[in-house]
Amino acid sequence: MKKRLMLVLFVSLTFCLGFTPGIFAEEGVTDTEIHIGGWGPQTGPAAAWGAVPRGTRDYFKWINDNGGIHGRKIIFHMFDDGYNPAKTKAGVKELQEGTGIFAWAGGVGTSPGLAVKGYLAKQNIPWVGPATGSREFVNPPQKNLFAVYPLYEGEAKVLVNYAIEKMGKKRVAIAYLNDGYGKNGLRGALASLKSHGMESVVEVPFEAKDSDLKPHIMKLRQAKPDMVLLWITPGQAAKVVGISKAMKFDTQFMSVSTCSDFIFMNLITKGAWEGVITGTFGEVPDSTLPLMAKYKKEVFEKFASKKERWGIFYYAGILFVEPMIEGLKKAGRDLTREKFITAMENIKGFKGIGPEVNYTPYKKGAIYSRQGTSQTFLVQCLKGGKSKQLTGLMDTK
Amino acid sequence: MIDFIQMIVSGVATGSTYALMGLAMVIIYKTSEVPNFAQGEMALITSYFAMMLLTTMNMSVYLAFFLSFVFAAVLGAFLEFAILRRAKEPNILGMIVITIGIEMVLLGFVSWKFGAEEKTIPFPIGPYDGFIFGDIYISKLDVLTLLCALFFMIVLYLFFKFSKLGLAMKATQQNSVAAQIVGIRTNRIMMMTWGISSLVGATAGLVIAPTVMQPFMMWDPMLKGFAAAVMGGMTSLPGAVIAAYMLGIIENLFGGYISIEFKTVVAFAIIVLVLCIKPSGLFARHYVKKV
Repeated sequence: MKKRLMLVLFVSLTFCLGFTPGIFAEEGVTDTEIHIGGWGPQTGPAAAWGAVPRGTRDYFKWINDNGGIHGRKIIFHMFDDGYNPAKTKAGVKELQEGTGIFAWAGGVGTSPGLAVKGYLAKQNIPWVGPATGSREFVNPPQKNLFAVYPLYEGEAKVLVNYAIEKMGKKRVAIAYLNDGYGKNGLRGALASLKSHGMESVVEVPFEAKDSDLKPHIMKLRQAKPDMVLLWITPGQAAKVVGISKAMKFDTQFMSVSTCSDFIFMNLITKGAWEGVITGTFGEVPDSTLPLMAKYKKEVFEKFASKKERWGIFYYAGILFVEPMIEGLKKAGRDLTREKFITAMENIKGFKGIGPEVNYTPYKKGAIYSRQGTSQTFLVQCLKGGKSKQLTGLMDTK
Repeated sequence: MIDFIQMIVSGVATGSTYALMGLAMVIIYKTSEVPNFAQGEMALITSYFAMMLLTTMNMSVYLAFFLSFVFAAVLGAFLEFAILRRAKEPNILGMIVITIGIEMVLLGFVSWKFGAEEKTIPFPIGPYDGFIFGDIYISKLDVLTLLCALFFMIVLYLFFKFSKLGLAMKATQQNSVAAQIVGIRTNRIMMMTWGISSLVGATAGLVIAPTVMQPFMMWDPMLKGFAAAVMGGMTSLPGAVIAAYMLGIIENLFGGYISIEFKTVVAFAIIVLVLCIKPSGLFARHYVKKV
């Protein structure tokens, strides 16, 4: 009787396993596919940043077109969260628990990202290159999360340091978006001022939906700054610079890397963006770097929709996930999450179209074990949206 | 003192956009008692239509704007004819929900068709061209918006007061059954009202578009325009305009002297206050329907 029962169990188990291939394989990985998830706003007030996941999607198509990774194609599951953290959480859970995602790539925004950070960490699901430079993603560091975007705080420090030390500015005003993105910039700028024994002359908060910006500009002008740091949305920054110049409010404007697409900024300000200095997390759109030209020709021109523009948000979608592809290659054919995380930790001196990327094995409290980049450089907008590189790569630590 | 004057001037400029949106909302409310929440998106789609004519079809600005106004009027009339009129046994709440639905459809269409990235449209007046009086600045576009708002206010006021069509519109609002009995084709009146309202709202969109266009550009002006209309009494055209200017000025002064963070909410705080003290609004007569 016992023997017969064992036999039935053995046959049933073999039968079940036979019909569920890869039952012992990693979630989101099959013989021919790797399932990767990502999100970004395709609708809503932040939809301009929706180009980031589209860039990622096209880059993965290009990878697949070139043979994939160790014989597997990447299946990219991208969804529109409208920059709404509740939708981000629902979308991530649905894909993770329904489809089964191996790892997450990119993901636009501080608030949407924070909504799922804990959920992914709990299950140790790898997440590479959140499209935000907020400190909250690496402080404290998490084993599963590898950041690529240089920290906003460090970028703001570099900008203010440059204004004070190289340009001799003494009266610094800060315009910031009243959310995680803006407050990270504000914190970095204030830290730099403090280290120089200075204080800001005024700090002006902006709300994302503010469209009448004249009161904000008046507030800035009243303080008579010789440099204004803009940590707001590109559309708002364009308006502030345009109206300020028309009001003869002459000051040096500096801004965050999200406003470093000079061709675009110059276009929407009708030339008023000329002279503005920004940090940048990667190459500028008209860069002559061979890899940029290659991506433009082989990714953008081949896979992007006709309405797409070769702008900084689009190719940032590539930049944020280049290290992920490197990690997948290093992890080998026998792909598991643990192996992938170890492979990511072994990335040293990786250079794509962004600053150099370095990770180290996970160590509690060591931010730079998971913050891959710590460099930025400053560029200035010239006539016609051309850019002039003002500095070499500068440390944002 | 210069800052104070600049804030007043900026407030008037901002108020002009609110005034145009407020006027557009009042026109529909006067005839149907329905606040049209699709007003902003109707202006939005007209602005993108103008952009398409200017950039992809290379039309002259004057022709493109003329065609855009025609488009706006037809769009308004079409929405009333094709959607609102089809509502079965409509009540006010149902109609409001329909306008919210139209708003979402139009917004989604614009995002899908034209993308979400900021754009501008070519216009003879540059977005930052302006006049400087001492240290006081006002942009030429703001002056144009102000003139448009005053023009529409006067024309519409005279239209509702003295023209047959205007009187028919008022009659339709006050008692549509009685209006039908005396031979007014209320359906046609409603359609025309939507057309005119759409045209007025589109003017606001077209004067905003040369600065920065993106799918959410009409959200703030629409809300503030609605706020101004409520403050003015919802049925008073001059009331909506005056309230819009008050709102623009108060917002600017509040942002400049008290708190920039609460600048946006102050408009709605004022409305609550006004509605508590004078529920019919500042400039409308309070009618009581007797049974």
